[in-house]
Amino acid sequence: MKNVISKEKVFNHPIDKVWNAITRQEEISTWFIQADFKAEVGYPYTFTSKEEDCVPITGIVKQADPYTLIYTWVVQDTDTETTVKWVLQEVEGKTKLYLEHSGIAGYPGDSAVQMFESFNGGWDNCVSLLAEYLTEEVHAG
Amino acid sequence: MQDRITQVLKAIADPTRREIFHALVVAATAMPITQISGQFQISRQGVTKHLKTLEDVGLVHINTQGRERFCVADAKPLKEVNSWLKFYEDFWDSALDDLDSYLDGSS
Repeated sequence: MKNVISKEKVFNHPIDKVWNAITRQEEISTWFIQADFKAEVGYPYTFTSKEEDCVPITGIVKQADPYTLIYTWVVQDTDTETTVKWVLQEVEGKTKLYLEHSGIAGYPGDSAVQMFESFNGGWDNCVSLLAEYLTEEVHAG
Repeated sequence: MQDRITQVLKAIADPTRREIFHALVVAATAMPITQISGQFQISRQGVTKHLKTLEDVGLVHINTQGRERFCVADAKPLKEVNSWLKFYEDFWDSALDDLDSYLDGSS
């Protein structure tokens, strides 16, 4: 089984705008997930959700200089550390994002089981609720 | 579903069981237990125990023919685990779509 998930996406926006969206607490909280986040190396961030069932994600910012952002991604109450890397590149006025989430499948036996269990229940809800939240924001604005 | 995935993951967490499973996949045909255990340093009893664990989660099917028991690999349960891992694929796809919408909406 593969151990890395990678995504590439081109955004029709300037690189600094995309960089702000992925590094600023208020912006992350708007499009992604409720965040206590600072783009400073060593900052222990927390991604939470308003829903009680959602397991918070915690981690440490490892790198945060334009335009590379790296943080560890740990599901709270598990000891499995995965890593999320965002790399932005300017391409003809647009911004190309390379996202990499590594460590997904390389867990030692029991902690993998633990991690998978913690995700299996609540997380689907957390993700779909985010989409609803965004829709509400659009209508409200 | 969740319990099954948990069990499959536990079954393949052991390196020896992975090797046994791999040997059966490579063989691509039913193998008698005696022949399988001949490929491993551990006792026949140990191999049988591992095969039983693999059988419990559906990774191996064991059929008795006469005095010999034949084992065959079945990768289907692994596909279920893989589809679960797809969770993160979908998660990030969805997140990046949200980011795109957000960027389009804010000026």
